[in-house]
Parts: sequence; C-alpha cells; structure tokens
Amino acid sequence: MSRLSRLSLVLFLLIPVLAASCGKKTQDTTVQTQQPASKVAVTTVELGRSVGADGRITDRVDAFKPTDVIYASVSTTGASASSVLRARWTFQDGQLVDQSERTIAPSGDAVTEFHISKPDGWPTGKYKVEVFVDGNSSQSRDFEVKR
Amino acid sequence: MGIFDLFKKDKSKPDFSNVQSGSSTNAPPPGAPTTNTYVVKAGDSLSKIAKVVYGDVTAWRKIYEANRDIIKNPDLIHPGQVLKIPAA
Repeated sequence: MSRLSRLSLVLFLLIPVLAASCGKKTQDTTVQTQQPASKVAVTTVELGRSVGADGRITDRVDAFKPTDVIYASVSTTGASASSVLRARWTFQDGQLVDQSERTIAPSGDAVTEFHISKPDGWPTGKYKVEVFVDGNSSQSRDFEVKR
Repeated sequence: MGIFDLFKKDKSKPDFSNVQSGSSTNAPPPGAPTTNTYVVKAGDSLSKIAKVVYGDVTAWRKIYEANRDIIKNPDLIHPGQVLKIPAA
C-alpha cells in the first residue's frame, strides 16, 4: 500500500470519530443551558429545638437529645410563582430518615420550617439535613443526637 | 458473605419508618392572591425594591404600574410609603 493510500485510510477512519466527539460536546452544552435557574435562593439553614411564630429558630443547637423534635428553619430570598423546597434528612452513612417538600410562591424574603420527630426516640449518631430548591441542592447542616 | 449476612446487616440499621414530619412557611402557596405590601425605607428606589422582591431590577415598572395612584414620579418615592407588590 502506498504512503498516500495509508494516509487516506487513516483519515477515513479518524474523521467519523472526531465528528462524533464534536457532536457530543455540542449536545452536552445545550442540555446545561436549557436548565432554568430558580429565582429563589436559600440564605441560611438553622437548626434548633423550637421555632417562633415567624418560623425562625428560637433555641438554636446542633446537638439534640433522642426525644427532641428537630427543626430546620430555611430562610430564602427572591421571588417565584412556584418553587419547591425539599428537606432531606439522613443518618450517618446516608440512610434516609425523612424527606418532605413545601411548594412556595414568595414575593421576597421568606422563612420555611421543616421538623421531624420520632416517638420512640432518635438513635444516637450523626445526622444531616440537606435543603433543595427546585431539585437543586442548596445548603446542608450536620447535627448530632446524643444522650 | 451469604444472603443471611446481608439480611442481618439490614436488620442492624435503625428503623426510621415511624418518623413524623411537617413544615410551615410564611410564604404564600402558588396561586394564592397576593396582597403583599412593602414599606419604603430611606435609600430605597423602585429598582432596588424590585431586586429584593423579584430578584430582578428591571421589574421596577411592575411595582410602579401597581402604585400609580401614590407614585407620581417613579424616581421619587418616600420612606414610609406602603407599596402594593404584585405577584411575580
């Protein structure tokens, strides 16, 4: 096979591969830009044993007793016709404890509280609450339950 | 590790099936009629308020249109004025 023929063969094999990889990059970029950004953003997540009428924590702690009701107060800023706040509570290595959602339509700063309780008491150990806005992880807080 | 060991391991995990949860918010639910108001503070402008309530400075006109009865000049608002904030 002549040198020119070999070069032609290499180019013939490489062109579809290069074209396919270029096409994939373009597709990925399109997917990212199509994701709509939420106008609601979480400013703080506070943990405690009780909340006031405004939903803010009145007894701020990050270590709870097994019999405590655990509150997470989520402050948000921004406006939206409909945004879903989700609190995902997990234990130790990620075992799901609870997950709850609240759909809000704030026109400015707002406070949303989530709480969990367990009638027979929380197992001692490390926990985490992660807050999502419209499916996107926004903030998380670690806490502990000890005797 | 046998199938019985796997079963034993799962049983050793705490049971959270009886966890009770709830939530409350001071934000209105979607579709609720909005009767929100905003009290103008010193240093406020319509675009500044629009940034706070809508997250968009260019939405100042929406606030202006909803308050034409009390705002004569959109560049001139006064501390203490109570503005109606229409839904986003």
